[in-house]
Amino acid sequence: MGKARKPDVVVIGAGPAGLGAALAASEAGARDVMLIERDVELGGILPQCIHDGFGSIVFGETLTGPQYAQRFIDRVERSDIEVKLNTMVLDLRPDRSLTAVNSRDGVLEIKPRAVVLAMGCRERTRHQVLIPGYRPAGVICAGAAQRDINIEGLMPGRRVVILGSGDIGLIMARRFTLEGAEVEGVYEIMDHPGGLTRNLVQCLHDYDIPLHLSHTVTFIHGRKRVEAVTVSRVDEDLKPIPGTERLVPCDALVLSVGLIPENELSRGAGVLLDPATGGPVVDERMETSVEGIFACGNVMNVFDLVDYVTHTAEVAGRAAAEYAVHGARRRREALAVRPGRNVRFVVPQLLRGHDREVYFYFRVRHPERAVRARLVAGGMPLAAKRARMVRPPEMVRLRADPEKLGEAVSRGGLSIEVMPEDREPGELSGKVAPEDQEPESLEPEDRE
Amino acid sequence: MRDKNRDRLRERLNPTLPASARAVVVGAGIIGCAIAREITRYLSDVVVLDKENDVACGASKANNAEVHSGIGEEAGTLKQKLNVRGNRMYDDFVAGLGVEFKRQGLLIVVTPRSVPPEVTEKMGPKELDELLRVKIPEGIVAYGKAAGIEGLRVLSREEVLKREPNVTPEAVAGVFDPNYGLVCPYKLTIALAEHAVINGARVILNTEVTGIRVEDGEVKGVITDRGEIATGLVVNAAGVFADEVAEMAGAGGFRIHPRKGATLLFDRQVTSEYVRSSVALFKMPGMKKERSKGGGAMPTVEGNLQLGPTAVEVEDKHDTSITAEEIEEIFERFHYLLPSFPREAVISAFSGVRAPTYEEDFVIEASERVRGFVNVAGIQSPGLASAPAIVEMVMGFLHGLGIPREPRPDFDPTRPSTPRFAELDDRERKALIRKDPRWGNIVCRCEYVTEAEVLAAIHSLVPATDMDGVKRRTRTGMGRCQGGFCGHRVAAILARELGIPVTEVTKSGDGSPLYLGRAKDLLRPGRASHG
Repeated sequence: MGKARKPDVVVIGAGPAGLGAALAASEAGARDVMLIERDVELGGILPQCIHDGFGSIVFGETLTGPQYAQRFIDRVERSDIEVKLNTMVLDLRPDRSLTAVNSRDGVLEIKPRAVVLAMGCRERTRHQVLIPGYRPAGVICAGAAQRDINIEGLMPGRRVVILGSGDIGLIMARRFTLEGAEVEGVYEIMDHPGGLTRNLVQCLHDYDIPLHLSHTVTFIHGRKRVEAVTVSRVDEDLKPIPGTERLVPCDALVLSVGLIPENELSRGAGVLLDPATGGPVVDERMETSVEGIFACGNVMNVFDLVDYVTHTAEVAGRAAAEYAVHGARRRREALAVRPGRNVRFVVPQLLRGHDREVYFYFRVRHPERAVRARLVAGGMPLAAKRARMVRPPEMVRLRADPEKLGEAVSRGGLSIEVMPEDREPGELSGKVAPEDQEPESLEPEDRE
Repeated sequence: MRDKNRDRLRERLNPTLPASARAVVVGAGIIGCAIAREITRYLSDVVVLDKENDVACGASKANNAEVHSGIGEEAGTLKQKLNVRGNRMYDDFVAGLGVEFKRQGLLIVVTPRSVPPEVTEKMGPKELDELLRVKIPEGIVAYGKAAGIEGLRVLSREEVLKREPNVTPEAVAGVFDPNYGLVCPYKLTIALAEHAVINGARVILNTEVTGIRVEDGEVKGVITDRGEIATGLVVNAAGVFADEVAEMAGAGGFRIHPRKGATLLFDRQVTSEYVRSSVALFKMPGMKKERSKGGGAMPTVEGNLQLGPTAVEVEDKHDTSITAEEIEEIFERFHYLLPSFPREAVISAFSGVRAPTYEEDFVIEASERVRGFVNVAGIQSPGLASAPAIVEMVMGFLHGLGIPREPRPDFDPTRPSTPRFAELDDRERKALIRKDPRWGNIVCRCEYVTEAEVLAAIHSLVPATDMDGVKRRTRTGMGRCQGGFCGHRVAAILARELGIPVTEVTKSGDGSPLYLGRAKDLLRPGRASHG
């Protein structure tokens, strides 16, 4: 066994999260930062996202995916971050040591002082949503189809049915159409669309692609290659209604049925996961339950905005550098930040310190108009922001400054809740913190 | 070596039939390949034919991988006899093939639902307890003993739950059968086919048998869509199509009615320890319409939990679909036996088509009407377990029909297998990467399959030439992402190695292209856009 490498910080994954974390760690004084990526190039999913809509918060302008990635890649290339492409991390252990492999170095034993998990997420597949039928060629996830067309220059289908109306499904409906393929329709099991209104307009409506709400695919036909799918209407319990079946001839079924944070390595390291997010439980410095292991981006929960990913990456990268340089500090006891009314989950889930501002990210359980999202401590609202509309697909973020957090920590009993706007005045009587600097509209830009 | 590989690959893609062979086996499933391998112990001039693009494309690739003991079979049937004997022969059967076989055992669980309500209603609680705790388990052990199944033992409720903590707390007692084993059925089939090839056999795929030439009551040849092979010996191991092949020779008399079985497969990271042995709920005989042995919960050799299979009569022998009803049935059935099984960790679902006759027993016979024609039909579960004994029985007929009884002195008893990166330790990994850097290039991120392994599969003795073929040999695309990461990588390697454009790479042979042309094709002038 060769001698183990001992860098300050290892970042696993070089998508937007990993790029941002490695840069932040390097800029915060970590001497030796290693960025490990299993793919052939940097950028993660961004190089295949050739549509625009990235970067309005981070850069104040909208960029395409490749442009957004390139701004970070250029900085990485100017830095002394060590990049390992085509390199797979096989195993991460609770003592932060890890094993990776590639063709050039062989098996790498690495013992970093700090680790940042930035593995991103993967697509939910056909069997995870249990679509009955045959198993022919031509059943493909939307992100994989995007890669085929935009990177490989290959057409995974010519007559396409899309299941799922998340943003990536909508964007692929447009992409297939622009390639001259026919998109028969987009089917969505829920009674409301999964993607942004803007994408519904620009990707479906503008191209006359029908959206069928409360519908799902109930059978895949074709032994060798997809020949057709059966679609059915569903009832309130999302169960297909007998008698509503319709046969739709097609040669491909494109699935946009959800994304799953990639935490196989996290599990191996003993990192505690939050069942609500599918990702690690983190504190305000993005540190996981295992000391010296940090997390950022879609490995924590699936963000709708790459800008948010970048933000969490900067927090995690800086904290990892501090940990690597200054060593472990005595960890203060953590306070849980619980999801309150109409909140499904909150990230970070824990609050230990209050020496810096913290952005809380959360998703609502159901759509609601005219609301106020707020951080509450011991029944007292401390930070709040208004929104005209909140919807489950769109992440909400709420800023809290160190002063408010100090108060929150001393009060305890933290939660984040979404309240109807009209109830506010009587209840709060002037205790509401001023709005933070974010635009009031919570409609974010395209997800990746 | 490389040239030899190329020649083999060329031949594989565009096979030429030999003018004659001493024996022809129709069907390259587990039974056909095992018989061919056995024939090569005595002579090398044997051909295996299959209409699919790979071996193991029928029921051999889509069953639950169990090597049963025979405890579930009806006393006195050929099935039970061959199953009990086959199970005992298994270690020798797989020896030298480089295929993992382990005996994980079967736990038969007895609960109040093991007995129909009309029986329990008439009983007092003490009597019922006696039945479930003592009489049924002891009855199972006695039944096994009578069939020659050794080592069965009765377990108390505590022992059942200690052995398998995820089993329903309603368990009253159990029986443990240590004979049950697990083997990957398609890996075993591939290994048997390769072992036969090493010893001189030819495996010819993409070739459909359309007729059997019979003259004066004797087999003279096999007619295919690629031409004819003259032979005096034909073994019909055509699975669900065995009745049709038998009819071609005029050696039929049985009918295969296809019966589908669907299975759900779970992420092994979540379920590797979920059940340690196979687990099945005991049901009093006659309690349900006995369409299959009822299936169970079991790990795969790799540690994925499997639940199933179902048993549904179908019209179409090609019906490998899985229906919503079947999925629901599996969930409902196992919700009782394993109340907390992780539904959300399903990563795959598959169906296979069983090949039962109406008699529901194996049909293994040298035809009395057509000399030189041997039927090996009606092979359904426990066919995998019975395979060694089926082969032994078939060889009895073949020796009588002219296959020499003396083994060849030059028979090679081993088939070299490619190491699996995922199973090696770091020292072994380093050594391989030093020798060939492609051992360090991970192609499949879930199962840690390297480029070297994919290449080995494509350049093997029975080459993989499509995505599913590579998958079965290496596990690419079998993990939780189901090919999202490795799909285009494997396709590119296949295209490069086969010397074809990537648009001609298929999932499972002709008619299953992964891609329908290149981007911009539909936009070029002269090409009609669909829009």
